[in-house]
Amino acid sequence: MSIAALSGVTDADIAAARQSQPDAFTTPAGMVRKWTPLAIAVVYVFASMWYFDFARLLDASDRVLSLLYNFVVWRDMDTWAYRQIYVGISQTLAMAFLGTFLGTLGALGVGFLAARNVMPFAAVRQIVRRILDVLRGIDQLVWGLVFVRAVGLGPLAGVLAIFVSDLGTLSKLYAEAIENIDRKQVEGVRSTGAGPIAVIRYGFLPQVLPVFISQSLYFLESNTRSATILGIVGAGGIGMIIIERFRASLYDQVAFVVLNVLVLIFAIDWLSKRIRLWLIGAKHDG
Amino acid sequence: MADTNMAGGGVSAPRDAVALYETHRAALRASKRVWNILALAAFAVCLGLSVWISQFYPERLASGVPRIFEYFGTIIPDLEWSNLFAGRTEEGRAVPGSLTYWYTDFWTYAALIWETILMAITATLIGAAVAFVLSFPAASNLAPNSWVYILSRRFLELCRGIPEILLALVFVFMIGIGPLAGVIAIAIHTAGALGKLFSEVNENASARPIDGITAVGGTWMQKMVYAVVPQVAPNFFSYAMLRFEINVRASSIIGFVGAGGIGQELNRVISFYSDDRVLAVLILVVMTVTVIDLISERIRIGYIGRENFS
Amino acid sequence: MQRPRFVVPGRPVADHRPGTAHSYKRIMWGAEMLKLEKLTRRFGDNIAVNAANLEIPDGQMVGIIGKSGAGKSTLLRLLNRLIDPSDGQILFGDADIAALKGNDLRKWRSDCAMIFQQFNLVGRLDVVTNVLTGRLHDLPTWRAMAQIFTPRERAFAIQALDRLGMAHTATQRAETLSGGQQQRVAIARALAQEPRILLADEPIASLDPMNAKIVMDALRDINRNDGITVICNLHTLDTARQYCDRIIGMLDGRIVFDGTPDLLTTDMAREIYGADAGDFNEAATSTALSATKPARAVRVSA
Ligand SMILES: Nc1ncnc2c1ncn2[C@@H]1O[C@H](COP(=O)(O)OP(=O)(O)OP(=O)(O)O)[C@@H](O)[C@H]1O
Ligand SMILES: [Mg+2]
Repeated sequence: MSIAALSGVTDADIAAARQSQPDAFTTPAGMVRKWTPLAIAVVYVFASMWYFDFARLLDASDRVLSLLYNFVVWRDMDTWAYRQIYVGISQTLAMAFLGTFLGTLGALGVGFLAARNVMPFAAVRQIVRRILDVLRGIDQLVWGLVFVRAVGLGPLAGVLAIFVSDLGTLSKLYAEAIENIDRKQVEGVRSTGAGPIAVIRYGFLPQVLPVFISQSLYFLESNTRSATILGIVGAGGIGMIIIERFRASLYDQVAFVVLNVLVLIFAIDWLSKRIRLWLIGAKHDG
Repeated sequence: MADTNMAGGGVSAPRDAVALYETHRAALRASKRVWNILALAAFAVCLGLSVWISQFYPERLASGVPRIFEYFGTIIPDLEWSNLFAGRTEEGRAVPGSLTYWYTDFWTYAALIWETILMAITATLIGAAVAFVLSFPAASNLAPNSWVYILSRRFLELCRGIPEILLALVFVFMIGIGPLAGVIAIAIHTAGALGKLFSEVNENASARPIDGITAVGGTWMQKMVYAVVPQVAPNFFSYAMLRFEINVRASSIIGFVGAGGIGQELNRVISFYSDDRVLAVLILVVMTVTVIDLISERIRIGYIGRENFS
Repeated sequence: MQRPRFVVPGRPVADHRPGTAHSYKRIMWGAEMLKLEKLTRRFGDNIAVNAANLEIPDGQMVGIIGKSGAGKSTLLRLLNRLIDPSDGQILFGDADIAALKGNDLRKWRSDCAMIFQQFNLVGRLDVVTNVLTGRLHDLPTWRAMAQIFTPRERAFAIQALDRLGMAHTATQRAETLSGGQQQRVAIARALAQEPRILLADEPIASLDPMNAKIVMDALRDINRNDGITVICNLHTLDTARQYCDRIIGMLDGRIVFDGTPDLLTTDMAREIYGADAGDFNEAATSTALSATKPARAVRVSA
């Protein structure tokens, strides 16, 4: 065989190769098939940019600049009503903590009702699960708005919103954890003649408690974030202060508050990681 | 349980070792008990403070909870079985108690839900495109140098750090009320969230094909296109679809701050009317979210299945 | 000493005329010598390659042997510049390979193809595209990004595959092939690069004897017929003896043997594979050799 070189490939060679391996060459149909999805996506994005009027973004440049300027230049810092800000922040924390706590308590009960290996009546289980689906299907913010209408502005609405949406999600996660446990330990307890409550206490809880606790800690983290948002619809906490001051064009104060919130979220993440480590460590030498 | 085990193990050991072990163990248990009590106390204090700060008192709850049920009573429509499916009368009026009466504004809602879905698609596509581009420099094993690595990581963190509804608030201020603000806010958040996931997928890509393309003299871009993308594409796709599901939820509430979609209507009916319209919109939203989830799951499983078994 | 400036000669357009293929390489490179001078690579305190001096003329088939951890892979990866030397020089003619950067470096890599023990194909791409990646250095950016190849390039890839008896798998995904088949595709990819030098890092270590023979025969065929220098890391002594013009023995990063196969005595081999290890005795050597006798018989009859 001669020395192989690309430049040595003749038209006859190309024809021969095409003859023997037709699928290894590109055909117009193949090109269309390959590029159509990308083309559709690109065309869609441009069409929707036109539909959503992206050009407005260009007109907004002076507003963007003034907003950015006002975010970074802080004026009259002694008149900023810090007390209100920190009360708001502590309210946010309190809402997240209480909402998660109540959600956990509720999920402890409901989770067992929705678990296949605990709840023998399929009908009850299905009804509980469908209700949980609805609780989860409606966003926390919507729950916040609804509870503001029901019980008025303030943190109570926020706590209830967090409670309800956590109940939906945590119960489902708890039920899954319960369904995934080791059956042998449960049978061990049952074989001693224990009643159903005792079976749950000694057969199930020791296995699922670590999962429950770490899930709830994760939810505490994410609820601290969402409790900030809940204030936007009036459900108490720092979000209410953010939106009030935003509407009053006090952008420097908004920037200050948001920075504070970011620090708070960072601190909660760190703390909950430590607690989780501590609890898991405690489990090991126990 | 551990007690008996350890005692059984100590039988053959010298006496004083057992005693030493027992005292050590007792001290350990005591210190653990102290920690547990401290933790419990800290927990109780947190709980007490939370109750106090958020004014979560029994009397407030007692007056609040009935109002909740009252409220839910008001948003339930008065449907009458006899004319549930009644159409409009001669004059074009809907019969009270019929579905048509309940959903008088159905087509308004439908248009807004359509807009919500379009917002989610556009935001997901734009966000995923940005995330795709940045996920290569933001992966520690692929980044050409530490500068672009750090810069792209920080940028992605910034994008996902701020809640999208706050971003939407700012964009509504800058470019006015309407879906555009929502699309941009969700797209930015999507870029951040997907960018992180994508770069983690990239970090798990096998180095062998990359070495192979390096050895044929490929540029950095060629290594990404030929050696990395084929490996990560299925994961990217399913993450993007999952994000699309999340974005449908997000775009259905982002209207609360005036950033378009069904959320704007939801906010309006909840804030201004306490009647069956609230439930009408809520049902539509939940149905939309559920249906989108189902479709997206189908597509995801179909695609992954095809990828793995072809 | 002043380092000679390296200029990677661009491939002249005129040379892509059919028929000038043969003269192209001669004009471009002449009979260049690959020269290593005190080439050293450290990983922390560990010296993987220790002051290696070598001269490899154009067109040789060289086998590198040595026990695990001797630095064979590191040496090859240094030549392809997948890793950078800590010290010393790599010269190809006048070119200072160790100093290459950017485009010049990629050009060098494309001229110095590499075959890996684990094949390093892109499993999720089809075979023909894997082979075509060997052409990447020559492709305009947009074509490379869009994965668009000309019919001529595709035919060339098919020819390369055909030469290794793999053309029928062209449209299959690379990950669906067996190890031996993947290695043959990897060699086809190397051929598609039109390399000057072919480096093979234990190309047959994960293959069965039958596939190992196919792969080694292909490498020798490439060496003999195309005049491509082949430098090959080998685990087994007999393969090296059987296929290579020249054997280089490495021990703890140093080159301890360099000569034709007949100069490699059993004593020498024992030293290379670590006499002090104790378990490499005469019996082990002889079993290793006798176990390979059938393979040798196959080769004679072939
Ligand atoms: N990337 C790396 N980082 C740190 N040490 C390395 C690296 N690559 C190789 N080494 C070390 O360099 C030495 C030589 O390794 P090398 O892979 O070249 O050996 P080898 O002769 O190819 O062995 P084998 O036959 O097992 O493939 C070994 O001690 C190895 O641990
Ligand atoms: Mg090796």
